[in-house]
Amino acid sequence: MPGGVVAEELVKRFGSLLALKGVDFVAPEGRVTGLLGPNGAGKTTAIRILTTLLQPDGGRATVAGYDVVTEPQLVRSVIGLTGQYAAVDEDLTGRENLVLVGRLGRMSKRASSERAATLLGVFSLSDAADRVLRTYSGGMRRRLDLAASLMFAPPVLFLDEPTTGLDPRSRLELWDVITELKHRGTTIVLTTQYLEEADRLADTISVIDTGRIIAEGTADELKTKVGGDVLDLTVADRADTALAARTLAQTFGLAERDLSVDLDLGTVLVPVTVGSAALVEAVRSLDAAGVHVGDFGVRRPSLDDVFLSLTGHIAEENRSESAAPRGRRPVMGG
Amino acid sequence: MVTVSPPVDVVTPEARAALPPRRVLADIALIAGRNLRKVVRNSRLIVFSTIQPLMQLILFAYVFAAVARVPGLSYKDFVVPAVLVQTMTFSAMGTGVGIANDMQTGMVDRFRSLPIARSAFLVGRTTSDSLRLGIQSMILVAAALLIGFRFHAGLPAAAGMVVVLVLFGMALTAFSAWVGLSVGDPETVQAAVFIPILPLIFTSSAFAPVSRLPGWMQPIARVNPITSAIDTARGLALGDGTLYRVSHTHLHTAAWHFSLWWIVIVAVFTALAVRRYRMG
Repeated sequence: MPGGVVAEELVKRFGSLLALKGVDFVAPEGRVTGLLGPNGAGKTTAIRILTTLLQPDGGRATVAGYDVVTEPQLVRSVIGLTGQYAAVDEDLTGRENLVLVGRLGRMSKRASSERAATLLGVFSLSDAADRVLRTYSGGMRRRLDLAASLMFAPPVLFLDEPTTGLDPRSRLELWDVITELKHRGTTIVLTTQYLEEADRLADTISVIDTGRIIAEGTADELKTKVGGDVLDLTVADRADTALAARTLAQTFGLAERDLSVDLDLGTVLVPVTVGSAALVEAVRSLDAAGVHVGDFGVRRPSLDDVFLSLTGHIAEENRSESAAPRGRRPVMGG
Repeated sequence: MVTVSPPVDVVTPEARAALPPRRVLADIALIAGRNLRKVVRNSRLIVFSTIQPLMQLILFAYVFAAVARVPGLSYKDFVVPAVLVQTMTFSAMGTGVGIANDMQTGMVDRFRSLPIARSAFLVGRTTSDSLRLGIQSMILVAAALLIGFRFHAGLPAAAGMVVVLVLFGMALTAFSAWVGLSVGDPETVQAAVFIPILPLIFTSSAFAPVSRLPGWMQPIARVNPITSAIDTARGLALGDGTLYRVSHTHLHTAAWHFSLWWIVIVAVFTALAVRRYRMG
């Protein structure tokens, strides 16, 4: 895997907290690999190790064949990094930010300014090119941050939650850029807590939880892992929810804990092998049990279902934490 | 969507990663240039680093001079070198705030993920801040001359005083950088650096000769690094004779203390700051 990213048994400790407990991870060359997990799962720590910002306490990793611990300078010359928080300079203009990164990345003065002008155009920032960043919106900053990471066209790109906190339109714009980069053969490692984002952008997904990779595969493979289909039922009278759950569990020979039941909403989710056949059976048995059905359908499991079944908790429950300020971040590593 | 990435220059990773001395210097210059550009764009910083010291100069030279007396010397001539040292001290604390700000905004991560010299970030910061201190001290010396402060020991000694001011400020930027890297939050840094600095200023020879300070404070004042900087600056501004009359110390003694302190502060805090930076 010459141009890709390989991590073996990565371990990282912060004081008594074991942030990474032996992470194995492969991002093939020219593909988008998603690192999916809730806040605090270890995504950012893994990215910081792979981008040489943090030393691992155990294990090894290579980026484009270069070892992150013994050849960090070479790793830095083939990567671009866009973090969760736009790392751009408030007091400089958009153009100055890009030129600074280009020149620090060993580009000539002329090449830097030509490249900056191109990227500013690509990211629809030409009009704002010579304004200081204090006047930029959040979405504009994020786009500039990504542009900065692309200045010397690095073959490997790390995107650490690139769309966290962005409005839907800016998110879609960034997705387009990432898709375009992928088509041009850039190796991309993308962390996200948005299942939809991983589903849409990543060729393969590694699910990380509490410092460990707990599943990997394509979005479809992961969905298949959960089971075939999901029956999604809403009862007409919420008082019937428990009865409906019991009836369906019996019908399909499942334990009640295999079902996802929400008493407040009156919903029951049942994993089944073949949705259409199960639907008929389910309607018949619910009718026999005297349960009035409000809404009933069959769907493919979403990555949310995958996540729930793999980790036992939903992906975004800690999202508010990601908005917290991070004073000691370089020490803690996020 | 137009093209995102036709490679602009074909450079091998090895070439991009190489760090010949010329490149290290170029990196330092780029980062220092970026820092200076920030200073120029930041009106609050300019006010803080020139208007505020000017006010202090006027306060000490006129208000305090009306009540304070130093035998055989105008209080204005006595206090101006001290106000200048104090200004350098406060200004040097801006280094830590700037670094903490870069950490918080992710700029440190950006720099550390680029194939630049590891030393460029800290050395670039020291370079730009020394330049800032130099310009600031010239402005203040000019202002001091305008309000009636006089050098008594000739031009070379006066130039020497400016050098001492900037050198002292540079040494303190190392301390400030270490605090900035350790704390990582600009506002906390601002508070944290003043905890040791303010008491050191008030227990120095800044505003009164050491012999006129309370008895218990005198031994502290004598070994205080700020006293060594102020006495050296005073000796260069006023002459050895005058320095001895008000401080009972000779210029060469003060200069010797100052050099010793300078080496200790620079060595200890540069080592601590570099370690902190590398730890990441």
